[in-house]
Amino acid sequence: MLEEELAAKFAAYAEARLPGAKNARVESIKRIHGGASRQTYSIDLAYEDATGPKVKGLILRRDPPDSLIDTERRIEYAAIKSAYGQRDLPVPEALFLETDPAALGAPFFVMGRIEKGDPVNPFKIEDIEPHRAEIGKQFFQHLGSIAALPVEGSALAEETEIPAADACWRRELNYWANEIRSNAKDPQPVAEAAIRHLERNPPPPAQRLSIVHGDYRTGNYLQDGEGTMTAILDWEMAHIGDPYEDLAWATDLLWCGNDQERAAGLLPWPEAIATWQEASGCTFDPAAFEWWSLFAHVKALGIWVTSEKAYAAGDNDDPILAWSGWFTHAAHELMLAMRLGPKYGAGA
Amino acid sequence: MSDIGMILQRLGNTLVTGVAPKLEGDYAAGHAMMTGVMAVMAGEAWDNAADRLVNEIAGMRGLLALAGKNVTVAKSESVKISDLTAERDELARYLITLQMSLEAREDQEAKDLNAKIWMHLMGTAMARMPSPPEFPDADEA
Repeated sequence: MLEEELAAKFAAYAEARLPGAKNARVESIKRIHGGASRQTYSIDLAYEDATGPKVKGLILRRDPPDSLIDTERRIEYAAIKSAYGQRDLPVPEALFLETDPAALGAPFFVMGRIEKGDPVNPFKIEDIEPHRAEIGKQFFQHLGSIAALPVEGSALAEETEIPAADACWRRELNYWANEIRSNAKDPQPVAEAAIRHLERNPPPPAQRLSIVHGDYRTGNYLQDGEGTMTAILDWEMAHIGDPYEDLAWATDLLWCGNDQERAAGLLPWPEAIATWQEASGCTFDPAAFEWWSLFAHVKALGIWVTSEKAYAAGDNDDPILAWSGWFTHAAHELMLAMRLGPKYGAGA
Repeated sequence: MSDIGMILQRLGNTLVTGVAPKLEGDYAAGHAMMTGVMAVMAGEAWDNAADRLVNEIAGMRGLLALAGKNVTVAKSESVKISDLTAERDELARYLITLQMSLEAREDQEAKDLNAKIWMHLMGTAMARMPSPPEFPDADEA
């Protein structure tokens, strides 16, 4: 669908759903690069209502033919609704969810646009200077706040199952092992060995059940260049589970700019953990973190082999999928091998 | 015959430093940047690919022989990347099965061989890792 056609259809759709709106038109529409799990557009929607003319900044997230992550848009929508307005979390407002592809050619949802802020390239995390420590503090505070959000009664709880505290790890490991086995184009001896290792050495039960963002990391937030995180984005892998999953993913080596002294490449580890503990109410457990940290590498491999398959199939030409299937896959395979090998006597 | 690795690297540099900046603000800029970065990576990988696969194959054949496994994986009839990859993949399936059987044992011989497999996997993973990408500075892009 051409952007002009998409804009006209979107204006008609929005007018029908905004209370009292008339004469709606799209003043500008621009596709945003990245976020390969959805086609993402920034839209200026002009309309009139009883109070006069308005222009509203919106983000449209439409399902592509294929994506990095095979998720339901209703999950992302529900997760954003669950976090919006809670505990000072900078989360956009969820506005419309449309599962009928008739409206815009594919299911989509719409959220309010946060006007200030840019993402940070996790491979150039030094660009965040001189605000690294300020952003780092907020990064771990918000991460802890997400872990502390109420699960019962949340919009997300209505859309997903709530696992038992001692079953979170098994559910996630089974899911991502299946993704790897279903989608890898070649044998994955490192991933397979890691899956077996994690099965033989399970983590302690979750200290609490939490809303898990699922992809909380540098690259998936906006910052204003003045030391403030302005938005937490990309909630498409959200679910309810063990908050250590988010902590381990957020601090995965891939996202830390090769800076192992600072958690997530942002904040010294003791300060990062203390901030997360205070905000989440959880107590840091090295054994749990070790398991979820290794699991994060496996989960990553599951995403990367899936993206490689999607790119190879030709359904999605976004080169970020090729990049994921190549560079980031190699990086996580190397991390797993170097961490697990010594546990089995290699290099000892 | 042209130097394919050199060509890919030059193409990548052109995309990253010449094309992508001129597309700034357009959706295609991100595509051009990523494509350029990967073209540079492809130039490096093109030169290494056959050597890396031959080493992986030799390593796995050695490990399977140490385990006394009689594998029936034919040697590639050529050194085409596709043929070497097929041979490597077939051997990797045997290696996964071997490692699973070793993990089920408690004896030292099994542990020693498993350690050797991990050494192989570590070396393979290191050899597969592309050089870190060089993204231009924000004011260059």
